[in-house]
Amino acid sequence: MTGNISGNAYALTILSPIKDGYTPDEIAYADLIRDRLQGWNMEHNSPMAKVPQTYLCRFFVLDDVYTESLPGAGFLDTLSDLLPVVPDRTRRNALPKEDHLQSRYLVFSCNFHGGAGGDLEGYLRGMWGAIGDRIREIWGYCYGFEQVTDADTFITYMKKCQLPAALFFNGSNDEPLEEQLKALYLKQELAKFAAENQGLDAATLRRNFQAFMQRVAPTNLAEPTWPAGKYRI
Amino acid sequence: MTQKLDLLDIQGNIIRAYGRFGYPMARYVFFNIRHSARAREFVGTVTDRVTTAVEWGEGPGQIKQPDWTVNIAFAYQGLKQLELPRASLSGFSPEFISGMKDRRDILGDDGPSSPENWDPIWAENRKNRDKDVHIFIALNARLPALLEEGYAWLTGVAKQYRDAVAILNGHRGEHGALYDYQDVKAVMENGQPTAKEHFGYTDGIGDPVFEGAPNYDLNVRGRGKQLEDGSWAPLATGEFLLGHIDEAREYPPAPEPILLSRNGTYMVYRKLHENVATFDAYLDEQGRKYPGGKELLAAKFVGRWRDNGAPLVKAPDAESKQKFDAEFAAADQAGKDKLLSDFTFDDDMSGAKCPFSSHIRRINPRASLQMVKGSKPGSMIFNKDAFDTPGALSNRRRILRRGLPYGEVKDRSRDDGNHGIVIMMLNTDINRQFEFVQQEWINYGNDFQEGSDKEILLGNHNADNKFPSKAVLQVDPNSDQAPYMLSKIPRFIETRGGEYFFVPSLTALRMIAQGVVDPT
Amino acid sequence: MSNIAGKAYAMNVITPIRWTTAWLNKLIFWIALKRPSTLRGLITLSLIHYARWVIIGKNQFPHLDSSQPKEKLHYSYMLFFSNFNGSWDQYVDSFTFAIPGGLDLFWKWNIRYPKSVALTPFHHYIRYNQIETIHYYNAYPLATSNDVKSAKAVKDALIQFQCQSADDESDDNFLQRYNALLRGLQHDLGAMHPTPIVSMSAYQVERRKRWHDGSLQKEIAAQQAAQGGQNHDR
Ligand code: HEM
Repeated sequence: MTGNISGNAYALTILSPIKDGYTPDEIAYADLIRDRLQGWNMEHNSPMAKVPQTYLCRFFVLDDVYTESLPGAGFLDTLSDLLPVVPDRTRRNALPKEDHLQSRYLVFSCNFHGGAGGDLEGYLRGMWGAIGDRIREIWGYCYGFEQVTDADTFITYMKKCQLPAALFFNGSNDEPLEEQLKALYLKQELAKFAAENQGLDAATLRRNFQAFMQRVAPTNLAEPTWPAGKYRI
Repeated sequence: MTQKLDLLDIQGNIIRAYGRFGYPMARYVFFNIRHSARAREFVGTVTDRVTTAVEWGEGPGQIKQPDWTVNIAFAYQGLKQLELPRASLSGFSPEFISGMKDRRDILGDDGPSSPENWDPIWAENRKNRDKDVHIFIALNARLPALLEEGYAWLTGVAKQYRDAVAILNGHRGEHGALYDYQDVKAVMENGQPTAKEHFGYTDGIGDPVFEGAPNYDLNVRGRGKQLEDGSWAPLATGEFLLGHIDEAREYPPAPEPILLSRNGTYMVYRKLHENVATFDAYLDEQGRKYPGGKELLAAKFVGRWRDNGAPLVKAPDAESKQKFDAEFAAADQAGKDKLLSDFTFDDDMSGAKCPFSSHIRRINPRASLQMVKGSKPGSMIFNKDAFDTPGALSNRRRILRRGLPYGEVKDRSRDDGNHGIVIMMLNTDINRQFEFVQQEWINYGNDFQEGSDKEILLGNHNADNKFPSKAVLQVDPNSDQAPYMLSKIPRFIETRGGEYFFVPSLTALRMIAQGVVDPT
Repeated sequence: MSNIAGKAYAMNVITPIRWTTAWLNKLIFWIALKRPSTLRGLITLSLIHYARWVIIGKNQFPHLDSSQPKEKLHYSYMLFFSNFNGSWDQYVDSFTFAIPGGLDLFWKWNIRYPKSVALTPFHHYIRYNQIETIHYYNAYPLATSNDVKSAKAVKDALIQFQCQSADDESDDNFLQRYNALLRGLQHDLGAMHPTPIVSMSAYQVERRKRWHDGSLQKEIAAQQAAQGGQNHDR
């Protein structure tokens, strides 16, 4: 599905059905998953910081779908009003219907660098390799997850849970994460340098700039740079 | 489309910046309610004297211009004490209900601006029932003696109702003395009131023009909203008056019943201290280094030259400023107004003339946010038709400005004198208009593609070395210059207090006074 | 829960569409994809890192195991995920002010969609159908999408500058090139500091940051000491 790829960015959408059961403490599996995700918020940084090439991602539990009851102007909502005399039955039939899900779903929505070809397998392999135990902690209560034993089975499982994007909008740039993080570091450092060295004579400025370039090493992605998930300055 | 407003129902301070109508001084008095029923009577007595927005004239049947004006507004706590029904109270906006102090994080009132450092009347507000600010009454006057006359009237009424309302003390004045009122007054030069504030800028020029306001069609250019074809239209009335259609073609959210809110609005009261010594020192220091010199740099902070308010987009350097001055001197009042107000940023998309971080560009960017990077490095271009209307991102962020400077600068080498501005801003949605501007455009710069860089004049700049404030003064992308970096910007302005108020219509005032507001 | 990670806000909106018109939405998205001008307003707004629309057919919810009950739905569902900068109000408002036509185009076929003008019903519609994120991870909490894009401009310019440097260059020539470097980057040098608080719930984020700093434990301990060991659980 090309809808998942925009440039070098990949939109992964996962809906994993959660088993309808509960723990010995009488906590429903879906609520347990939510509690564990809540716990991730209290860790030093998200486990996802360890997963290569992750730009932004989120988790939540979809408990149910919503039934619309607000007044609206959707095309067919108003069409029935146009008929001169609408029998009550027709009018009632035009009211939004009530839907309910049979299962609750763990939703994982992720934006990552997948390259032009959209290397989903590579990403998932990296994810399993980096935080396999944490994945199990969250996904362990989902239907079908018992078949996941290694990276390959994880990939197979995730693909079964995947939904294609109808439209993926890429409003950022889609370089590999290390490039982005290095660039952010450089931006902050250059702004500082420019302010501190403003108005110096050409020779001094040149010397300082050379030292600056040595220090920040623009092409060295490994260091100095920002770590993924950096919160503090 | 065109509508006529019921000016007799609208309080005068909403429509008029009194300072520009021959009232260069004012006194703001705040009350605490002690007895609800009697306080409603007090409101009724004051209401009889409230100045409306009606047009004044000397002819027969016309209403004469008063020597001093009276206007009244209420904080949420005050409306509660006046026993408005719960169903009406809960219809007010959440930020009005919470009050300014509670919104400190949104407003960036931190460090020296934080509520602990506010004037006692504001620091004590909403802490202790007896110190809550409930009612605001403003007296504007033509002359000092007339202000005293107005104040004598007000204190007389207050005395008559001393069982019902108490004047709150705690406005800091000279040498930290505490007063029963906040005095404000135009900065004087040779005994004449001027339009200056304490940093030396000419103030009180830009004010939005909206449909139905008197003469709105005459000065709409540069003050209304910018349209695609280069013309201007007045802003929708509902941006400034409740009960009228706003820019989204709906009635802005307002409390019920409609008679309570229609022709009323919200008022943001803020007392802002000006650190004149810090300002002068920083301007001197940077002015020595800045290639264009000190006065141009001062103009870059605001977007207008200090002496006569000439907008930078029309007079970007000393040479063009001279030409502007000549034209300005020769122009009549209407011509002067046009020279000062009728401009856009369309020919300055990169910010080379008026920097993105300057006061007026941040606060009213006009159509300039419809921008994208151009192919020339360092340039921004106008992205025509990208938005529904060119001013889409500004038209719903406009605010009416009222108020005057307070105090006097006696020693320019000290920050700690009694000097600043009491600014009052009127809008129908505090959160969408005032708070948004304060938070996203003054204390943050992402919409201007300037990251966390703040507005130069008002930003809650940090003196510490961890997050030093800076601003980039852009240059012409086709020149050979480098942008000028204003580094380590200190805090020029500190908040000294304030609150959110509701300014009812005359009809609503009478209903409040009678206790007949009833949304059932 | 945490809809906020640094300067990004995670929005999730789920809305029903009639399965008979779901294809229309897909068609509209397809056109948007082919005609980039449809997205020009979005690009100019420049508030979004990434956003996506996913349409789940009424029979397309993932089914993993025979023990999992089958979904029985009347409608198909459209899921919208966005990673944007700024507050909820700013985002929703900017959309409705700047590109109401685009919004209406994308949501038109959703049940009871109120149209983006006026604002209040649109606010209600989004709030009504929004789902809170529980855990949100952002690889660069200090950066907006503008920052990420301008950072690339900075990096590219620095590398190019480096390539053009020559040992025998005169100091004046260097200065000219240096000025040109900064001039070309004059809209790319905004500082990246922690965000201003965008909503009251950002207290949570702030708290977490202080926790990272290691200062929160100290604060709590100090508070508890001050309260004489009173149990103040908030
Ligand atoms: C002590 C603090 C302040 C000072 C010294 C100050 C000074 C100025 C000056 C010199 C101007 C240009 C003249 C004019 O257009 O009237 C101006 C304009 C303006 N200021 Fe302020 N100001 C202050 C605070 C504020 C605050 C807190 C706000 C609102 C958040 C604000 C909103 C405006 C607006 C809306 C304009 C007109 C912009 C336009 O439409 O072009 N000011 N101010």
